[in-house]
Amino acid sequence: MKARIADIQSLGPAIKRLVLAPSGAELFPAASAGANILLEIPGPERVWKNAYSLVSAPGERNRYEIIVRRVRQSRGGSAWLHDHAVIGQELEIGVPANFFPIAKAAKKHLLLSAGIGITPFLSYLAALQAAKAAFELHHCCRGEEAGLFRDLLPQSAQAVLHTSRNTLDLVKLLSVQKLHTHLYVCGPEAFMDLVVATALRLGWPRAKIHEESFGGATGGAPFIVKLARSGIAVQVRADETLLEALQNAGVDAPCLCRGGACGVCELPVLEGVPEHHDHFLSEQKRAGNTSIMTCVSRAKTPELVLDF
Amino acid sequence: MGINKSRPIYEKLRIDPKGRAHLIVTDLASVPEDAIEADPAFSNIESWVVGIGAPGIAAEARGNLRAFRAVADLRSHLSHRLARETMGFRLYALGSEAFLWDVMTLGREAGLGEGEIFLNQAGTLRRRVYCTHCKTMNENVATHIVVCQACGATLFVRDHFSRRLAAFMGVKVDAEVPGEVPAPEVLYP
Repeated sequence: MKARIADIQSLGPAIKRLVLAPSGAELFPAASAGANILLEIPGPERVWKNAYSLVSAPGERNRYEIIVRRVRQSRGGSAWLHDHAVIGQELEIGVPANFFPIAKAAKKHLLLSAGIGITPFLSYLAALQAAKAAFELHHCCRGEEAGLFRDLLPQSAQAVLHTSRNTLDLVKLLSVQKLHTHLYVCGPEAFMDLVVATALRLGWPRAKIHEESFGGATGGAPFIVKLARSGIAVQVRADETLLEALQNAGVDAPCLCRGGACGVCELPVLEGVPEHHDHFLSEQKRAGNTSIMTCVSRAKTPELVLDF
Repeated sequence: MGINKSRPIYEKLRIDPKGRAHLIVTDLASVPEDAIEADPAFSNIESWVVGIGAPGIAAEARGNLRAFRAVADLRSHLSHRLARETMGFRLYALGSEAFLWDVMTLGREAGLGEGEIFLNQAGTLRRRVYCTHCKTMNENVATHIVVCQACGATLFVRDHFSRRLAAFMGVKVDAEVPGEVPAPEVLYP
């Protein structure tokens, strides 16, 4: 569907808020807390399809808001939004999808985020506060961005900002939680890995740990992917994902969330070693290197052969 | 006969090495030695049993055994205990099917889910039978025909287990021809 950029606000040197409004008379579909939208970003040579969490209140149909950080190792999409997007411009967006919903069974919600990983929780906060649900948010960021994130967080004892790792005692926080607490993690890969590994070590069951990562779909070293069934070979450039390379070559590869969360794009690996960036495959499957999530993962070897 | 999807399938209990604290509850007088597989390195294992002065309690030597006077007593302590417990806790239930699913209900209410609670049937096969006509629970039923203690209906004990009610469904056996009742047979000793 078509959306119009209604406003662009600079929140910090590398962070902008974009407000999108419906282009026509029809309102946007209502989205639930944690939902994201796919934005088609019209670059000069190619179109990027990036997923962004909605930070507007759940159910809002007059506007969708997203927050975009200019990523240094970006494939180009976020840089384009920072440098070229202007108010009034029309963009193509997808309908909202939610791979990071609030767990209904939880009686308390423990939200841990770092950096731009705060975005899905901004819509969570509106929903949790409206439902008067018990929650605790701990957000970690670099000192120079503390002011920016403080402005985004509600003024509440339930929302704590940490500007140095030492102030967040992860082990203590995760070991005192009651049985009905669910954990939600969003942030850079290293942060998410640390939180999830700590939780698992303390005995948290997988079912109570919810992860959302947008950091996965970055570029990396180029490699070649060969499709065994059709015999096609495709070059994956440094600034595109494996999935994008396949689709640009006209291959009808499966996909849905483009964030390594939903599992739809999984393809079997016949040769080569994948570099996994997803949050879908089990540790066993990861270690086996027999399948790959094409939307975020890349290759450790110069070549990958997929059964497709 | 096809597979009866309502009947849970149980597996031998195994102490989950990912847990930090473990509680075994049983409606038996003791936890049989071979009922639970555990790495000898685990020490944080507690057992709750029902019965006083019951012989053969191996766990007693470890000093982490608690005996309750009755199942109801154990259940009420369990819900208080679960409300206080923190993440990393694992619950294991061993005993009659009705007991197992009562424990499951308490566990779920406290927030325990998949990977945190484990059940295995042991001891009596007697059934708790839910009278679908007056909603009364009839405990310790050994026969396939039983008279509901509350409404007096003669019930056929269907092989249909409700995990929510922790009971088998009992339906009137002589609804078509009143008084035509087969002889009860002991099927669930």
